[in-house]
Amino acid sequence: MFASLRTAFSGLAISRTSGCSAGGALTHMKVLSVGLKTYDVPPDYSGVVMPEKPKLKFINKVPNFKKVKKEMKRLNDIRGPAKGADKFTEKGQYGIVALGGGFLHWGHIEMMRLTINRRMDPRTTYASWRINAPYKPITAKGLGKRMGGGKGAIDHYVSPVRTGRLVLEMGGKIELGDVEPVLKEVAKKLPFPAKVVSRESLAAMYKEHEERAANNQNPWTFETVAKGNMMGVRKVLSSFDLRNHGRYAGKFFYPNRV
Amino acid sequence: MAATLCGKLITRPAWLPLAQSVRHGSKAVTRHRKPVHFLKQKLLAVTEYIPPKPGPPPGALAPPPKREQEESGLMRILKRDIEAVFKDNTMVAVAQNNSATAEDMLLLKHRLKKHNINVKFFPNQVTRAFLPGSPYRNMETLFVGPTVLLVSKEPKVKQMLLALRGSPQIVLLGASIENTLLSRQGILAYSKLPAITTTQGELVGSLTLMTSQTASMLRHHPAHLSALLQQYIKQQSPEASAEQSPAQPPEAV
Repeated sequence: MFASLRTAFSGLAISRTSGCSAGGALTHMKVLSVGLKTYDVPPDYSGVVMPEKPKLKFINKVPNFKKVKKEMKRLNDIRGPAKGADKFTEKGQYGIVALGGGFLHWGHIEMMRLTINRRMDPRTTYASWRINAPYKPITAKGLGKRMGGGKGAIDHYVSPVRTGRLVLEMGGKIELGDVEPVLKEVAKKLPFPAKVVSRESLAAMYKEHEERAANNQNPWTFETVAKGNMMGVRKVLSSFDLRNHGRYAGKFFYPNRV
Repeated sequence: MAATLCGKLITRPAWLPLAQSVRHGSKAVTRHRKPVHFLKQKLLAVTEYIPPKPGPPPGALAPPPKREQEESGLMRILKRDIEAVFKDNTMVAVAQNNSATAEDMLLLKHRLKKHNINVKFFPNQVTRAFLPGSPYRNMETLFVGPTVLLVSKEPKVKQMLLALRGSPQIVLLGASIENTLLSRQGILAYSKLPAITTTQGELVGSLTLMTSQTASMLRHHPAHLSALLQQYIKQQSPEASAEQSPAQPPEAV
């Protein structure tokens, strides 16, 4: 009996002293029950082989032609869909795709090269060009010169880009989130609308277009109307329109059309 | 002559233009948006993309398929633990943990530990995984929100209730005591029951009382016994019963 009383009192005393010594922090602490957390499996980079020179290479401002020759404008080489370099190479994972045609100057190329080389980690990332070095001569007359007197001298060189062409691509032991900011920053400075894509998102873009074309609820499509020459519409359509079904007009691209 | 010519011209059904425009490739300007021909504008407007009508929203027709996730190692260990807790202990009481502070919980644990009652925490995810397949599946409704388990090997209900009186944050919800599911009222009633030995003693006492009374009656004088039996027969006979209860109708033979 006495023993039990003593233990009860000692228990009270202990509890009181402990409460006082621990202060307010302990009294307001909540008892949390155990929870479960599962982590995602990290990506497997075992198949990534780093190249010897991972950075973007310097591109010459002027091509090394034996004989420089003035050309006509030849706007056809920025018109319509790309005829090459519209798919990723084996090594590329992320890149910039052109959503319109245009001419890249050497200044644009330098801007991309300097920005990306400065911001990327060469131990885990590599980048490569998908455009050709500027080869197309653009002539210009000097400032304040009177008109006439023949074609002007070659002013600079440009590299033409068609819609859907990849400008550059990156890869390595990285995810899209690692390179997306720098690629976005670069893409918005280009002379045509451009978008950052990954291998999957580019494939998804093409697939979505195919699905839209297959599931179009409009019975009148550009192709059928143009092929059938309905109401003599071929009068205002070119062979370019027959090929592209109104998705392209000059260097411009209308991604919402099917 | 002129009249015949005029007549021919008027009656002619169709007329072909004498000169037709020829398009030249060099006019295909691509650097700016060309003004689109009206006919082509019409064509582009007519052949716009029309998306298919959206179907019913997902989940409206069929419930979403449950994600089949592999059980984590921790989950398996906890399940094993809770199985052992239910197997080893005769008393498993479920209480709601209504924001008890660490100090309160410590004190309560200390008070319960004196009577060999343990306080166990399990995530509801674990209990919900364990209970449905076990004989304790009816306890599943008790596990809502933060709960604690008060377990002991012997059913020490009275001690547990005494300890819980000091901490109002811990609200008793129900318990499984000796494989019987009890509500809160049931637990209170159970605590008021006397010990099993005393109940057994009472039962044995009442049984022996009757036999001892019979034996003492048999030991009386035979005349007294016969008088008692006679009286008994009198009471049991139908006339006596009829006299005793005249209101009852006579039985149909």
